Amino acid sequence: MSENTVTPKVKRRRRISSVWMVPVIALILAGWLLWKNRIDQGPLITVSFETAEGIVAEKTEVRCKSVKVGIVEKVLLSDDLNGVVAEIRMDPGYEALLKKKTRFWVVRPRVSSGAISGLGTLITGAYIELDPAEEGKTSENFTGLEEPPVKGNNVPGLRLTLIAEEAGPISVGSVIYYRGFVVGQVERSTLDIEARRVKFQVFIEEEYAALVRKETRFWNATTFNVSAGATGFNLQTPSLQSLVSGGASFSTPQDRFDSPVAENGDVFTLYTDEKAAIDASFTPDKRVLLLFDQSVRGLERGSSVEYRGIPFGRVVDISLKYLEKGDPRVPVLVEVDTNAFKKASSVDQDTEVDLQKAVANGLRARLAYSSLITSSLYVDLDFYDDVPPESLTQLNGYDVIPTRSSGFAMIETKLTSILDKIDALPLDQTLASFDKAAGEAATTLAESRTTITKLNNAIDQINKLVGSEDTQNLPRELTQTLAELKDSVESLGPGGAVQGDLRRTLDELRSALRAFENLSNTIDEKPNSLLFGRESSGDPIPKGPR
Amino acid sequence: MKDHSVRYAADEGLAGCHTCGLLSPVDEKYCPRCHSHLLIRKPHSLARTVALLIASVIFYVPAMTLPVMTVQGIGGTEASTLMSGVITFWEMGSYPVSIIIFTASILIPILKIAALAWLCFAANGNCGGSQRVLSTAYHITEIVGRWSMVDIFVVAILACLVQLGTLMTITPGPAAISFAAVVILTMLAAMSFDPRLLWDRLRHHSPTQA
Repeated sequence: MSENTVTPKVKRRRRISSVWMVPVIALILAGWLLWKNRIDQGPLITVSFETAEGIVAEKTEVRCKSVKVGIVEKVLLSDDLNGVVAEIRMDPGYEALLKKKTRFWVVRPRVSSGAISGLGTLITGAYIELDPAEEGKTSENFTGLEEPPVKGNNVPGLRLTLIAEEAGPISVGSVIYYRGFVVGQVERSTLDIEARRVKFQVFIEEEYAALVRKETRFWNATTFNVSAGATGFNLQTPSLQSLVSGGASFSTPQDRFDSPVAENGDVFTLYTDEKAAIDASFTPDKRVLLLFDQSVRGLERGSSVEYRGIPFGRVVDISLKYLEKGDPRVPVLVEVDTNAFKKASSVDQDTEVDLQKAVANGLRARLAYSSLITSSLYVDLDFYDDVPPESLTQLNGYDVIPTRSSGFAMIETKLTSILDKIDALPLDQTLASFDKAAGEAATTLAESRTTITKLNNAIDQINKLVGSEDTQNLPRELTQTLAELKDSVESLGPGGAVQGDLRRTLDELRSALRAFENLSNTIDEKPNSLLFGRESSGDPIPKGPR
Repeated sequence: MKDHSVRYAADEGLAGCHTCGLLSPVDEKYCPRCHSHLLIRKPHSLARTVALLIASVIFYVPAMTLPVMTVQGIGGTEASTLMSGVITFWEMGSYPVSIIIFTASILIPILKIAALAWLCFAANGNCGGSQRVLSTAYHITEIVGRWSMVDIFVVAILACLVQLGTLMTITPGPAAISFAAVVILTMLAAMSFDPRLLWDRLRHHSPTQA
């Protein structure tokens, strides 16, 4: 029974316990957590700065328009020890911000002459601002700006370059004015070492961009201008802000306003002041030599050349080198803008200016005072009818316009002729008769002098009289007398003693008269009463028949 | 050893109920008192323990490397891992706090995992160790287990309380979840470990009892 029974093979089922699912799930979950954390981190970029001031690892944020887009992970010294490199972990989803032209700068509290900014960072600590660029290749290494740019890349507007001989008071943040109105700012200033000039990157706000034309002139608006003109002295001061933080102005000459609108990247010259900018609006195309027969003191390089008061050129050089030795005339080289001359002298626009013809028609140059106070001169070109005919000549390759003695030179000649006439007068005879008359006058004077002495004596005596004590006392005595007089008059007045006495006397007189009247009446009625006396009573008692 | 003379219930075909502790013959399959499954030993105890241990080790990695909480304040956002917290407190001079965090969050989980691993090896008979030490290790592991969640509580409470808007906001990080998983998994591993295996080893290896 037991032999042929097969012992059943009890096999233990080797199945994997379900508990092993736990570590598998754990692995998946933990892996997912780690992977998600890794994914949640954006790209790691490096930005180099000059200094790490205000940048704290794992604290300092990177913001774009105040939105956090990353955080500084590490701050390291750069390899050459000349700066620092901030390793920045960008937040996921902001990879698109990282273009080659993207700019970074540290926002920390700044107090400059122009503005105060970043005060919020006093409390929150500095942060790194990111200014995204729209185009360009993706990049991971950037160089941070030390100064915050004035305007972001994305702000629409006009970006120009100004070239100046000297930076002067203009710096980053300086304002660009148009007729005193703020229309832009200086974004960056660099020194062009090769050209030895200062370059300013200027931003003009979009709404004002159309004001800038190809022919627009820029000038430094920080200068004081003192000008003496026909209306007196004129002092122009810049605005306080531009005085403190610098500023530039621009304008377009009236006749050039139809020139095309400036484009991004256009280069302009920054003139030292407004006058220089206006003067520079000529485009001289012709040089002419003028030979003056008089002193040119007061005329200098840059003095203007005008046609009937309209400037169209300037003096380039005053030097005897243009003449042969022995020539007494003074050569003045001027450059003129024939286009301006055409406009000014209403010569046909298309035709070439024919100086030959103009000179034949009486075109002459003369010196004139531009200011009598400073006695500065300018060259005035005009047509004259009363000049001897001359023709255009050539000297050293320059056209020579004939000159005419200037107004003040003519005044000089007139003065001389007047003096000559004075000289020719018979002054000697006149003087002799003058002398005679003077002698007579002298005797008259002597006589009058004795009269005056006598008069003086009389006056002295009067003075003595007046000065004597009696005369001095006279007024006092007069006063006294007057006071007494006043007293006596007062005693005569209504309240005075005399009047009281008088009134009393009058009263007594009146009563005496009344008594006398009575007496006379009594005597009238009864004449015997004088002898027999009156009745006992005045009131007669009617008597009965006796 | 004195214990070697002790008779083992398992040798007698008896098993203690896992639920109520009643000792009954293992053939009965079910506990006559509480009717729960009657087994001599916890089934697959070692395998379960090891599996859970491995899972906890896996979770230990993100728990240590990822930020446990993120503090968003005026000074910016700061995400701190457990270790960076320890270092921060240490640099601030709060040495006790630093030591507590280090011990509770970093050291204890490691020691617990190590202890359980050692127990598993010992129960499997792969390494020695005195019975008394192993028992003590097991008890400590079990008792400590429930206190390891302190960190998680701290983070949870902070995240609830510190919601001051722009001033300061604390949010828990992914490491908090991982850390909680580590703690829970080690607790489960400690529970699934059957300490009786420790003396089974002695029973099997003792020549007198064989």
